[in-house]
Amino acid sequence: MDSQEQLEPEGNVATRLDDAWVTIVWNDPVNLMSYVTHVFQSYFGFTRQAAEARMQEVHENGKSVVSSGGREKMEVDVQAMHGYGLWATMQRSGQ
Amino acid sequence: MRGFTERDGVAVAELDEDERAVVARIVADVGLLLGGEAFGMHSEPVRPERDEADEIFAHLAGLEDSLTEPDDPAILRLLPNAAPTDREVASEFRRLTEGELRDTKVTRLRKMWEQLSEDGPEWEVERQDAMATAAALTDIRLVLASRLSLDSDEDADRLHTEIQLAEHALDTDAEDDLMVDPERVWLGMLYQALTWLQESLVTFVVSSEEGERNE
Repeated sequence: MDSQEQLEPEGNVATRLDDAWVTIVWNDPVNLMSYVTHVFQSYFGFTRQAAEARMQEVHENGKSVVSSGGREKMEVDVQAMHGYGLWATMQRSGQ
Repeated sequence: MRGFTERDGVAVAELDEDERAVVARIVADVGLLLGGEAFGMHSEPVRPERDEADEIFAHLAGLEDSLTEPDDPAILRLLPNAAPTDREVASEFRRLTEGELRDTKVTRLRKMWEQLSEDGPEWEVERQDAMATAAALTDIRLVLASRLSLDSDEDADRLHTEIQLAEHALDTDAEDDLMVDPERVWLGMLYQALTWLQESLVTFVVSSEEGERNE
């Protein structure tokens, strides 16, 4: 269980902000496979193998969930992906 | 043009004078598109004395501007909608991040432009700047791809075929039979050259990291 949940009083804003969000990277015809793999490795700290698997998922399935967490954390991740020129979006998980 | 190769820990590419001029031009164009000042100009005359209040008002104006989505599809691809199904999340994201993203992108484009504006055919990129340069190349390619209407992997494949046909027509002096728009072919060839340069730069980054791991 996430220890943070126990620390937040019920019903306050902090709890709501801690709801799980996800960052999704979408396929595009421009970004190079080697570049995307390297971005995933260096930014998210994935192993080469894990980064390649995410990249392949983007390429073949059109998208991949690359991170999850609170809304603010996802804003940071999406901004970083946009910085690299990757097409990333965020949404509540399960949507 | 010669792609990036490693020399004493630095990535070095070779572009002749015409190639450098073409690439520097598109770098500057994308910088302008993102709202940067014209590269190669001194910033002092463009920004006359401003007091603190001016700065604050400029900042506020910027915040208002950034709440709306860019109209130009190329800029929208550089600064995408972060939450297409949630307007509140999307505009909050744009308000918080767009200024910083524009600055990051313009700064690294300017650096690239300065490197390309130096004399001599060699373009040197230090290891620690390589990913920023690769990201700047991505931004330029995204703008070109938008102008070329490359929306899918199939579109990119089709462009490749179009360019091959055009090159064949030129080689065989059958220019009159050319079915494609010459401007499209020209932009497409620039796009391909930048793709190739970026690929060679990423190869340099990956192999230099592998070298570090094996040490």
